[in-house]
Amino acid sequence: MRPTLFRRLAASSLAVAAVLAAPGPAKPARQPKYGGTLRVEIGAAVTSLDPAVESASAEEAAAKDDIASLLYPRRSSEGTYLGGVGSGPFRVAAWEPGRRVVLAANENFSEGRPFVDWVEIRMGRPARDRLLDVELDHADIAEIPPEEARRASERGVRVSVSLADELVALVFVPGRPIAEDRRAREALSYSIDRSAIVNFILQKQGEPAGGLLPQWSSGAAFLFPTAVSTAEARNLWSEIGGSQAIVLGYDAGDSLEQSIAERIAVDAREAGGSVHVVAVKSGAALASEDARFIRLRMASPNPRDALAQYLSTLGPIVGVSDPAPGTMPQQIYDAERAIVSTYRIVPLVWLPTAYGVGTRVRDWKTPGPGQGWPFADVWLEDAQ
Amino acid sequence: MTFRTKLFVVFMLALLSSVALVAVGVTAVTRRAFQESNRTHSEALVAQFEREFERHKQDIVHRVQGVADAEATVRMAIDLSRPKADVSVYVNDARGVAGSHQLDFLDFVGDDGSIISSNESPARFGYKMDWLAQPQDWASRGAFLTKVDTQDGPALGLMSVSVVRVGDKNLYIFGGEHLGKDFLASLVLPSDMRALLYMNLDGSFQPTDLVDESGPVTDGERFAEFIEPERERPTERAFKIAWTPDAASAELFHVLPLLGRQGELLGALLIGSSAREVVRLERRIIWLAAGVATMGLLLGLLLSWWGAARVTRPVRKLAEGAREVSEGNWSARVEVRGPNEIAQLARAFNRMTEQLSEQRERLVQAERVAAWRELARRLAHELKNPLFPLETTVENLQRAKEQSPEQFEEVFRESTGILLSEIESLKKIVARFSDFAKMPQPEIGPVNLNDTVRGIVKLFESQFGAVGRPPITPELHLEEGLPAIQADEALLRRAIENLVLNAMDAMPAGGVLMLRTTHENGDVDLEVSDTGSGLTPEECDRLFTPYYTTKQHGTGLGLAIVQSVVSDHGGRISVESESGVGTSFHLHLPAKPPVRSPSAVAEEVSSNGE
Repeated sequence: MRPTLFRRLAASSLAVAAVLAAPGPAKPARQPKYGGTLRVEIGAAVTSLDPAVESASAEEAAAKDDIASLLYPRRSSEGTYLGGVGSGPFRVAAWEPGRRVVLAANENFSEGRPFVDWVEIRMGRPARDRLLDVELDHADIAEIPPEEARRASERGVRVSVSLADELVALVFVPGRPIAEDRRAREALSYSIDRSAIVNFILQKQGEPAGGLLPQWSSGAAFLFPTAVSTAEARNLWSEIGGSQAIVLGYDAGDSLEQSIAERIAVDAREAGGSVHVVAVKSGAALASEDARFIRLRMASPNPRDALAQYLSTLGPIVGVSDPAPGTMPQQIYDAERAIVSTYRIVPLVWLPTAYGVGTRVRDWKTPGPGQGWPFADVWLEDAQ
Repeated sequence: MTFRTKLFVVFMLALLSSVALVAVGVTAVTRRAFQESNRTHSEALVAQFEREFERHKQDIVHRVQGVADAEATVRMAIDLSRPKADVSVYVNDARGVAGSHQLDFLDFVGDDGSIISSNESPARFGYKMDWLAQPQDWASRGAFLTKVDTQDGPALGLMSVSVVRVGDKNLYIFGGEHLGKDFLASLVLPSDMRALLYMNLDGSFQPTDLVDESGPVTDGERFAEFIEPERERPTERAFKIAWTPDAASAELFHVLPLLGRQGELLGALLIGSSAREVVRLERRIIWLAAGVATMGLLLGLLLSWWGAARVTRPVRKLAEGAREVSEGNWSARVEVRGPNEIAQLARAFNRMTEQLSEQRERLVQAERVAAWRELARRLAHELKNPLFPLETTVENLQRAKEQSPEQFEEVFRESTGILLSEIESLKKIVARFSDFAKMPQPEIGPVNLNDTVRGIVKLFESQFGAVGRPPITPELHLEEGLPAIQADEALLRRAIENLVLNAMDAMPAGGVLMLRTTHENGDVDLEVSDTGSGLTPEECDRLFTPYYTTKQHGTGLGLAIVQSVVSDHGGRISVESESGVGTSFHLHLPAKPPVRSPSAVAEEVSSNGE
């Protein structure tokens, strides 16, 4: 295997950048090494790489998207991958649905051969195991829950945290009696202490969300209040009467959703309301819940594209039919406001994506919204 | 009911009363003993609970203090004492620490009362527990009962507070144990007892707030009426619940109120003791007592029967003797044994029968003499009448022979006629007496008394309206369907004719002769009444005595014959008479005359022969 000129140049420039970015006394730039297997662990379990096959969950869809970014050379603005499969930096060498995929470096990749020879992605790994594997150098790159990033970092793990690009929100189920009562939706929104969720549950990873788009994307997030309004909430709850409880469902396999749900229940109780928290099996059909969590990951840093993406999901729920807001900031804000003011969706927090990075990984750059995993650019310190 | 039966019943009643009294007494004493035992058990259990509760309190104080003394807690306190300390890093610490110190509830609370980390309600971080931050000597406070907010709702906790002070900042450690079914399971209870815990967590009694060691109590709503007063006025009290109509299902509960820091009722411990064992033992005792009582009663029954028989035997013999006497056996005697009152009575009875027998002998003798006198008088009277003409005729004959021989033939012819006539009268008189002496034995056959009566009335019809005498009107009241009786019709006819003749004699001035027949159970009654002058009571008493008559020319045998006929048919005759109104004879004739033993007949024949 011989690296292309482009990759060599890129490797040189990355090494220079790493040296420049490193704190403390300047270290001599190191030459990237080729070879080795990059061990990656993710929580999602991808069962099919066929784009035509629909994913069972948003998490699987995101992982599938990330894997696809390694197999295709380019991606359109709409998110469609261009070029043939296998013409990207990697091609599939081994495939065990839901468990493991091994990618081999594409010697003929137009932008240069990746540094690593192989990428082994183990799927469906529990968060605790992923974190331990990174700590013990059994994995090179592992997705870790954002709320664990701080503790992991304190334990000496290299942690890479992206911009907050995943919205966690509550969605009221249309047709449920209490969900149809705007006062209840509004009261619940006023009751929630989003800052406490970010500071305590997320361990200061992420941002309180009042709108659908983060501040770094739309620049207008500050216009959507996130502070708790206990007095207003109490008034609304008292208007509704305490006999009815909002049944809030959370994914039984998602500890973060559970923690947030329990906090929301406490906040509602303190404000005079009543929220009953129930665990729902992942992907299960809505049964008795009045509201449940929704997690929306931005497919693009462009606010218009991200909002359009959200509307395609939320439109039927919130009753907004226009899937394509204008490009002007005001138009985007108005569209966002129109959705949020229905209180049918209650934004809670913005989550970043956190990765634990092994000690031998070099030139890792945290991917942004819409960007795939940059495995083609990393190299391993101990590669032969 | 015989005297023996009465005596037996009295004995039995006395025995039953005694057994019942003993049974009631034993049952009451047993029940009281069991209740006392039960109460002692409950008190022991309450004392055990109080000791266990106190031990738990001490243990919890030590464990919470152990958390406070842990290095990690001290480091946390030091960290939090710094300006702008970040409390969020400790948000999950309570969970791990609680587990390592075996505490159900644990909260790290900051100096301002804000919850930093909570094990039982991890989502309550940031909220305040102001009362905890109030100045108080928590070290001497010990453990206390309080309501704790958990994720699943409020719960009862036996809690303690320890304080870690760094600089001027306090870190409060509020931890303890859940007071619930696990706590109940830790109590060691006898098999027939159970402990329930009521948690006063709602505005009113909810059955789900009452738990035993396995969870909410079945039929918890049954406790509402007993828990509500406890909620209003907490105090130790006891109550009983009967789960089913069976007394064994009853359960006695002792209530121990559990108070919070400020004396408010947070819960109550209910120590329940099942009445099953007590009732089972009571029933066993009752059954045993019933068995013993039954055996006693049976034995008493036999002894009473034997005793009553023994006591009443002399009395029964006395009664038998009296009955024999009443049946005419004047020689009846009663066996006398011992000196008691019954023996004295028997002796008196024997003396009485002896005296009666002697008096009867004397009376019979006197009556016999009187009868003979009467017979002599009657015979003299009857015979005197024909004797006088005989004497006169014979004298006339003698006189005619001596004084008028020429007329003697004529006188002789007339005199012999008179003599023959008078001799005939004498023969008739003798025949009547002879007839009475030789009453024939009845020849039994079916007789319709109505027909007999009608025949007799028809026979006497001419005499009732005979010329020269005031008329007698016969009235017949003969019941239709009168059954035939077994009797000798000829004898009956003779008896009834005598009665009719008597009645006609009693009505020289005419009147009404009434004959009435009735029947009942096959027996037949005949009433023959006249409207004559009536009889005196003395006359009525002697009316059936042979040779007694109230008439100038009667033989005194008519009614004696009637009585004899009726007696031969196993019937009876009585007379009712009222002076100036009339006399009624009542004949009762059985459907069939009794069979008379040959010896009785022979005796009667022999007596008649005498």
